[in-house]
Amino acid sequence: MKTIAFSILGTTLDHRGKGNNRWERWRPTVSLCQHDDLIIDRLELLFDNHSQGLAKQVTEDIRLVSPETEVIHNSVNFKSPWDFESVYSELLDFSRAYKFQPKDEEYLVHITTGTHVAQICWYLLTEALYIPAKLVQTSPTKTGKKDTPSQQLGNYQIIDLDLSKYDQIASRFKKEHQEGASFLKNGISTRNKAFNQMIDQLEQVSIRSNEPILITGPTGAGKSQLAQKIYELRKQRAKTKGKFVAVNCAVLRGENTMSTLFGHKKGAFTGAISDRPGLLMEADKGLLFLDEIGELGLDEQAMLLRAVEDKRFMPFGSDHEASSDFQLIAGTNKDLTTQAQQGKFREDLLARIDLWTYQLPSLKERIEDLEPNIDYELERYSNKSGYLVRFNKAAREKYLRFSQSPQANWSANFRDLNASITRMGTLAEGGRITIEVVEEEILRLLKKWQNSSENKNSTSQTLERLLSKSDCDKLDLYDQIKLAGIIEVCQNSQSMAEASRKLFSVSRQTKTSSNDSHRIKQLLGKYGLSFKDIKAQ
Amino acid sequence: MIIIDGSLGEGGGQIFRTSLTLAMCLGKTIRIENIRAGRKKPGLLRQHLTCLKAAKEICDADVEGEELGSQAVVFKPGKIKAGKYHFAVGTAGSSTLIFQTILMPLLLADDQSEVILEGGTHNSMAPTFDFVSKSFLPVLKSVGCDIDVALEHYGFYPAGGGKWQAVIKPIASIKPLLLLERGELLGESATAMSSKIPKHVGERELRQITKLCGWSVDQLQQELVGSVGPGNVVSIVVATKNVTALFENFGEKNVSAEKVANKAVDAFQRFDEAQVPVCEYLADQLILPMALGRGGVFRTLEPSLHLRTNIDVIKQVMNVDIQLSRLNDLVWEVVVNKSV
Repeated sequence: MKTIAFSILGTTLDHRGKGNNRWERWRPTVSLCQHDDLIIDRLELLFDNHSQGLAKQVTEDIRLVSPETEVIHNSVNFKSPWDFESVYSELLDFSRAYKFQPKDEEYLVHITTGTHVAQICWYLLTEALYIPAKLVQTSPTKTGKKDTPSQQLGNYQIIDLDLSKYDQIASRFKKEHQEGASFLKNGISTRNKAFNQMIDQLEQVSIRSNEPILITGPTGAGKSQLAQKIYELRKQRAKTKGKFVAVNCAVLRGENTMSTLFGHKKGAFTGAISDRPGLLMEADKGLLFLDEIGELGLDEQAMLLRAVEDKRFMPFGSDHEASSDFQLIAGTNKDLTTQAQQGKFREDLLARIDLWTYQLPSLKERIEDLEPNIDYELERYSNKSGYLVRFNKAAREKYLRFSQSPQANWSANFRDLNASITRMGTLAEGGRITIEVVEEEILRLLKKWQNSSENKNSTSQTLERLLSKSDCDKLDLYDQIKLAGIIEVCQNSQSMAEASRKLFSVSRQTKTSSNDSHRIKQLLGKYGLSFKDIKAQ
Repeated sequence: MIIIDGSLGEGGGQIFRTSLTLAMCLGKTIRIENIRAGRKKPGLLRQHLTCLKAAKEICDADVEGEELGSQAVVFKPGKIKAGKYHFAVGTAGSSTLIFQTILMPLLLADDQSEVILEGGTHNSMAPTFDFVSKSFLPVLKSVGCDIDVALEHYGFYPAGGGKWQAVIKPIASIKPLLLLERGELLGESATAMSSKIPKHVGERELRQITKLCGWSVDQLQQELVGSVGPGNVVSIVVATKNVTALFENFGEKNVSAEKVANKAVDAFQRFDEAQVPVCEYLADQLILPMALGRGGVFRTLEPSLHLRTNIDVIKQVMNVDIQLSRLNDLVWEVVVNKSV
């Protein structure tokens, strides 16, 4: 492996006259080749036409002290060595034309010589990997060190801009990253691997990118909270200056939507008695969280797309475009791709916001995180109420067992958990949640989840999954309910025999012999269904 | 394979160079470990790497660990080739140390060699060209070696730029060395050599020597030489019938000319008091030719760490009996016995 150094000829520091004194003075470019533990196999010396004489002398002196070094002269012409633009483009041209062979050669960029502008340009080019090099910095020996026989030799230091190679720096980055990720998780030590990996990446994206982020996931999975946390993290790391503006698109209806989001001019419509800046404007230099973005009308979507792409939009009734520079986080619990296929969501907007998509799992999907979240909710409740709330040991075990059982459906996810803990905290006498409080709470949750599934008109939903809509409409409601019930039991059973034991548990006791499985088969067959079809669902 | 622990004794570049020389002359593969361990910059520095490359070149050696900072080197020598060589050492390092490394192998080759050496010719931590030509080589001549050297340019640290040539004629067998007495005193003189240094520096050095030794003007000379960078050496030469001794010291920034002269005089007076033929520096250079030749005996001052280290390495690599014995307060005798 050969070592190649790039050095701008120092018209001041390398220029120490032609006399013998020059050997007693520190000359950065010469000294670079004078170290007994560093061999520069090739020195690419950069200088302009005026410095031919000096270049010749420096080259000659390097030949004396470093016969191993081949010195190559490169002509550069900085219009002004202090003009950033011309120095950068000259050095960029040089770097791009240079035939780097990183397999066989190692490169060092000598940043000691040249103007500060040149040093900055070297740094930028190296950091941007236009030059696959490390930096080398030389410095004179501290005066007063009389023992050193080599006053003029000085020191050198090699700086690798690949910061990951520095253990101390790397561990700091890692720590900051962990802190950031932990912050996004509210400090909860979550155990679900997929969730943790997702948050790890989201932490990096939140800090490094200003592009839109799309958060999907069922209701109550924590979309709004996560958006808020991303904003706070960005604010901590000085990536955002403006405000956090959140709005649920489902509550925006009709004409008002445009004006709420994009603002209006005074007199734009009846009742517009003054200018209104709108939420986009309010989020200027900050973060706009649009929850349930799938509920936004197509016109608003078009306007939003332009605002995201060009940072410009037209307030209602205005002749002039307004501009706002905001980061967008969109939330949805709908499948936007399907919506786009059905024409309910603009494909171009989807493409624009679907850059960083994070799907938040439901609570059931990361049930191992339930326990740390219970602790978190307890802590939060305690802070809010001003007194410490804790489970009894038995009560905690009971609640945990229930909450992780299939019975617990957590349909509203963390929102359910939060409500549940709040209720128990309120009922906890002296801050102790007892087994009685837990038992009561379990009943309350079960009832709530039962109701909510009834409310959703689950009968017709269940049937429509197996039968066509027109077939269903031909059935009496009585038959619909009966069939849906049978289907539900079958779905929760391993075999037809098990389903029949559940369905006919009373009548079979009075019978001498029974073939209840056959009965189910017949019942389903009437509607062209089989147990297999149902289980395949 | 012979393994040498490079951290023993003097623990620096010398143990490394002696090992290379022995490996080449004896055709033995050696591994040198812990090279310059514990030094501020451990492992091979540039001048050591140049030595290694020179050694590799003259005998087509297979080498492992041939890189800067390397702390372990395996050197598997091939056949020594006489010929024309050119070695240049960077950082104005001593070219005489390269010469020292390859001299014995080239003496034992089957034809004449011409070597051009570039770098420093007068370095404070190594034998100077004058020491080699005036003190060391005449002793080798007395045991049958035919080596001619000629200086072309002086080279001082840090600018370097020195250049000289050595013509080495092969020798079948080196005669035993016998240096027990100095022999008749032929002359004592002092030289202040300088390049690109104010003239008064040399004058003051010589004046100081006259003051301390009581010498007359005709024993003093100032030599103004040309070189790329500045340099100054003061040397006291004691020529006797059997041997010539040299005591040198280098002028340094921030050290007065008088102090520079004092140090050279100190070394000279220590030597003069003991009345031995071989000075401290010559001793450690003679031990290798004796061990590789037919042995011998010489008297010298108290053995230096360099001499002891050289003896240790030689004993590890070859079968030779070397005895150090103290004859009196000041005088030591070194016997190299090859008959074992």
